[in-house]
This record gives sequence, C-alpha cells and structure tokens, in this order.
Amino acid sequence: MSEIISKAGLRELAKEWIAQGKAVAGPVQTKPGLVMYAKLASADEIVWKGFVRPANSVKEFVFPRHELLCTYKMEGNRVELANDEAEIPAQILLAVRPCDAAAFPILDHVFNWDCRDELYNRRRGATTVIALACESHDESCFCTSVGLSPQAERGSDVMLFDLGEEYEVRCLTDKGRALFAGKTQPSERTAPTCMGPDPRFNPEQVKQFVDGQFTSPYWQEATLACLGCGACAYNCPTCHCFDIVDEGNSQHGERVRNWDSCQFAQFTLHASGHNPRPDQGSRQRQRVLHKFSIYPEKFGEILCTGCGNCTRNCPEGQGMLTLLTGIEHA
Amino acid sequence: MSEASQFEPKIVAYVCNWCTYLGADLAGTTRLEYPANVRIIRLPCTGRIDFNLLIKAFEIGADAVLVSGCHPGDCHYTAGNYHARRRWILFRELLDTLGFDLRRIHFTWISAAEGRKWQEAVTRITEETRKLGPYRELYQKNGFQRPNAPPPPKPPAPAKTNAAAQEQQLRETCARLLSEGTVQVVIGYGVGGPVFVRRAEDAAKLVWDAGCQANLTTYLKRKEIKRLGKAAVVVKGCDERGLVILEKESQIDRQTLRVIGMACDGMGQPKCDTCTVHQPRFADEIIGQAADTPPEATHAGALDALMQLSPAERMSFWAHEYERCVKCYACRQVCPLCYCERCIADKNRPVTIDTSATPEGNFAWHITRAFHLAGRCVGCGECTRACPAGIPLGLLNLSLARAAEKHFGYQAGMDPKAEPLIGTYALTDKEEFIR
Repeated sequence: MSEIISKAGLRELAKEWIAQGKAVAGPVQTKPGLVMYAKLASADEIVWKGFVRPANSVKEFVFPRHELLCTYKMEGNRVELANDEAEIPAQILLAVRPCDAAAFPILDHVFNWDCRDELYNRRRGATTVIALACESHDESCFCTSVGLSPQAERGSDVMLFDLGEEYEVRCLTDKGRALFAGKTQPSERTAPTCMGPDPRFNPEQVKQFVDGQFTSPYWQEATLACLGCGACAYNCPTCHCFDIVDEGNSQHGERVRNWDSCQFAQFTLHASGHNPRPDQGSRQRQRVLHKFSIYPEKFGEILCTGCGNCTRNCPEGQGMLTLLTGIEHA
Repeated sequence: MSEASQFEPKIVAYVCNWCTYLGADLAGTTRLEYPANVRIIRLPCTGRIDFNLLIKAFEIGADAVLVSGCHPGDCHYTAGNYHARRRWILFRELLDTLGFDLRRIHFTWISAAEGRKWQEAVTRITEETRKLGPYRELYQKNGFQRPNAPPPPKPPAPAKTNAAAQEQQLRETCARLLSEGTVQVVIGYGVGGPVFVRRAEDAAKLVWDAGCQANLTTYLKRKEIKRLGKAAVVVKGCDERGLVILEKESQIDRQTLRVIGMACDGMGQPKCDTCTVHQPRFADEIIGQAADTPPEATHAGALDALMQLSPAERMSFWAHEYERCVKCYACRQVCPLCYCERCIADKNRPVTIDTSATPEGNFAWHITRAFHLAGRCVGCGECTRACPAGIPLGLLNLSLARAAEKHFGYQAGMDPKAEPLIGTYALTDKEEFIR
C-alpha cells in the first residue's frame, strides 16, 4: 500500500501553500539550458522533469549567501547594537534532489556543535523539505559512492516518486505529514527502484590517502587546471564556510555573514602576508581533507552527498570526482 | 505643498583641488549665491577619481553627481584631465548599458577663475535634478526581466578545417617542442579539461575537437603553471588576441613563450557568431587553415535587444541577472586579463567593493570587473561561459568594446602596435558631454 497524489493535485497544493503565505522554493528554468533552485512566485514556475539536477544547491534557503547578524549605531561613546529579529516565514523546499536534502542533517551538525547557531536553526526549523526521487543521472553524479542513492530519504520530510500521472508520497516526519494530511489517496502502486550511477571510488580509500599522503605530489599534479574560483564550493550542498564582515561607516552599519570558500587565496591569508596554503594544490587538498577525513572523524559521516555540482559548475571541467577517482592511480 | 516642491536633490560634486575647487571657493568669496544642494568632495585631480566613487554616491542617496576639473591644457599634473576624459567617455557608455540615468551624471571643466561658471553649473544641475525627482530606479527590479531574444544565429558555415589532421599535427608539434627542450610544458586541451603535457610521449593526451572552448592563456598568469618552466600554449584566433594585450602589459615574454595557433571554424559558442579571427595571426606554429571568408561583422543581437529598452528596464534586467550572482569569482578567475595578484575585490583595508552578494555588492563588482577590462577585453567570452548562474557577463564587456570602436576606432588585441586605450589619451578625444 502506498499514498499517492495526482500531479495536478500537487500543483494545486503548492498554490495553496503559496496562498497561505508560505515561501515555496523549487527548481526553476532560469534560462534555456539552466535550471536553478529559486523562490517561486507561482507554483507553475516549477520544472519537475527534463534535467539531472539544478546548477545551484538548496542550502541557500537555510544558510543564505548573505545574512544580517546585527546592526550597529555609534554616537560619540555610545554604541547601539540590534539583532535582526525579523520573522522567518514557514518555507517549503519542493522537488528537491535527494542529494540536496541529505545535506541538511550534515549541516545541522556543524551549526549545532560547539554553539547553537540561532540564525541557521531558525531557518532550518521553519523549513520543510519535500524531495523528489531522481530518475536520471549524468557522468558527474556519484551519490552511490558516498552512501546515498537516487531514493535516499535522508534529510527529507517527504519523498515523492514519479508514477507518471501521479506522485507516490512517503511522509517521513510529522512536519511532512502535516502538509499532506488528507491530500493523498491510498493506492496499490509504488515506485520502482531506480539504479543510481555505478560507484566511482571508495571513500575509505580516499580517507586513507588524504590522511597518509599529505605531502604527495599528487595534490599539485592533479590540481594544475584549478583556477581558484569558488564555483565548486558555492554550489556545493554541504560546503558551509563563511566570513563575517562589517559593512557601513563610523556612524552606522551592519555586521553580516557571507559565504566564503577555501579555494580563495584570501581564505587563509595571514595579516603578516604569510599564507599557509599558498597554492591550489594545498587548497584542493584541504577541501578533500575536510570532506573525507576531518568532518567524518568529528561527526561520523562524509561531508559530501555526491551531487556532482562541483564538476558541473567548474569552468575547466574539474571537481571532486576528478580528484577522487585519480587517487586510485596516484 | 506638492512633493516636487518639497524635494531637495542631493548632489555630490567630485572636484579637482587645483581648478574647480578654487572656482567654487571664488564663487563663495565673491558672494555668488548658488543652491546649497551640492556636497563638494575635493580630490587631487579628475584623473584620480575612481569610477566606483560615482556609483557609491548614488548608493548612499545622491540624486545627481557632478565631476569637475581643469580645462584641457590646464591640468596641474599636465594630463590628468585628459586621462579622465578618455575614461569617462567609456564609463558613460558602460553606465548607459547598465541602465543608469545619464541625466544625473554631469561633467564640467571649471577653472579657478570661473566662480560664475560654478554658480551656473550648480544652479542648472540642481534645477534639472529637481525636475527629475529622487533617484529611485537605482538597482531596482521593476518586473522587467529579459529583452526580446535575439534572432537565432545562422547555421555555421561548413567547416573547412580538418580537426583530425589538426589534432595529429598538434601532437607532433608538441612532441617536437618537448623533446627538443624548447619548452618544458605544453598547455593544451585534453579530454574533459585542460592538460599540462611535460613529456613528449604524453603528447597523445592533447585533443582538438568541439570541446576546446576554454581560453588557455589564462593559465599563463598562474604561479602553479609558471613553476613548470618554459611553456607553449595552444590558442584559437580569439584567444590569441589576449596575448597581444598581455604582451603590451608586460605580462608575458614572447621570446620564451611558444604559441601554437589552431585554425578554427567556430566552437558553437555565442561569441563565435561574430568572431572575425578564425585564423591565428601571430602564433609561432599555426596549424590548419580556416575558412577564408570571415563572418559578417555584426555585433551580438543580445546587446542590441538590450539597448532598445529604456534605462529603467535595462537596470531591471541587470538587477534580475545579478540577483543570482553569489560572488564565486569564476568570471575573474577564468579571465586571462584579470591577472592582478590582489584583486580590488579582495582588498579589505579599506573595503572598496562590498564582499556581500547584495545588489550593491554585486553591481559594484560587475561594474568594476567590466571597467577594468575596458579597452582590454578581447571578447573571448570566458566570463559568460564560466558563470554558474548563467549571467550574460560578456554583454558589458561587449558594450565597452563597441564603445572603444565607436569613439576611438580601437579593437583590443587586433593590432600589436596599437598603444593601450586606457593609459593613453589624445588631445582630440571628443568631449561633447563635458559642459
């Protein structure tokens, strides 16, 4: 037995959510050949099919690229600080890829580890994740190499499976059940299992290599094509580094949190001018080290969901997969 | 009272220390009255006024901006105002493409003796701005998203080059250069990305096919690549234009760099429709022969479609596009001509460009990127190709390239003897916009 909803029914439901004042986001055809997650003005904007995955990641809706932390006002010796107390509306992330949804529990660790990040948790708490199981993959996808799959339920409140005219609906949490209560019909049909990409590497082997081969020439060799932009990190569902900056003048301004990337030279530049990671080799090594060794040692899982966005977005066709599959031959 | 009569425009005037500032001073000491709407900011010379200051003034609430300095020939530093004039000619075109309201940006020459001219200029600008009302369109989306799609490009002419034969010859050439010891590394195209071939027997890793879109000359600036020794680089005709600029700006040494030019009939990129240099011209080794009839030199339809819109619609278009910018700086990193060791966007003492991916931060970054490439960009289109958010970044560069051609008959990277456009000036540069 399963629960289903017709495709038209789900569209109507999404319209209802928007009408209720909920922020709904999903994959949108940004321009020909480019699908990106974006906030929906209307439920008709969403594209359900015909692409492997959006070019950006859905983390932006919980961990925005630019976030106000507080504002300040200075007058003489008086400094006034004010937190941003703006209400966060309930938001629904619709037709999210399982590799995006799986990133949320991974990010939860980081933002609740030594201190509870209020802003992150506020947004996370207001968010319901409705994932749509993948039906296709491309040569950049590698979810099966990091323990996930096209139907992975991790991080989702609801999973949808395409049945042609309907979606099979599997509610996984109370949050999800609340959204779909009374909206689905029982059915005999369930979705067939979709095979993901063949595993491309062994994460254990990667960990052994990064732990043992810190000084290997491989890092320099394999990263010569890297130009040092942040396209991989900024479109990665799990990368979460940020920079805190003050923007304003001597009378008033804002303290904000912006995304940052370990691939920028500035990321580790000391005030003295010394840079402990002086080239792309050491910066790329850091990225692999963080994802496959440092984070797993701390939280027991890999900081990568195998979405392949790093490769798809790299102007020079590089990315995690290039680096990780090369380790075997290093 | 109506809103119009209540509105007092804020005008920021960037003036040079030696002429206009003294002119304004003279207006004061001779008791000439002029509206108190103008805030004067004194700078050493108009040649020293960073274009970012103009933008900043609007961001913090100015309704109009005035830039004023010494008359031509009067510059305290001989030629600062001539340099400024040339830059403003191009910068105005850039602002126009972005949809800034040019009626709010004024340029004048006012000498130390022209107190009355200062009085008149400020009075006139205040009145004009009062009529225009507050500047509310800055960085605003008014719902307008996209200009009419340009007509689809014509199907490419049948390729005359023989890619397989070219590939073979390319591999042989590289094997020769490496085994002779002429170079230590060949920067070329491989399967799925660039390769850096260092042994003659690896020359077979080089490929030549429709995937060879990247402009590999961008690797010449990277210290990771410089470390590998003397280099040869594989270029197409369009990429080669960038080398002309890099050499002029002393970034490469053509005595040691070997250039392997590949004849190309287009790679199916939008830029290829308007490309006029299918055949490399200055390379040390030229492989293949491209179709000898260059395409009609029509400029990209997307820019034409954009320029047919109103300024407010253009601004709305860019505001929508920049909304997706996350500041990954892929556009900067792929650009062969963005070679500064420390980019202005990374300078944080003080911050010139907000690091935030907000409308202000994004406009400031994209304006700066485009204008730092004014008269330099060779239109290789890498910025547009690299952008993960699909922002048509090259349009701004194209508009500047078009302006350089219109005003100065200059095409970057076409003539190795031509002096750089920015950094030089001519006494005859047109100044009809300076009053």
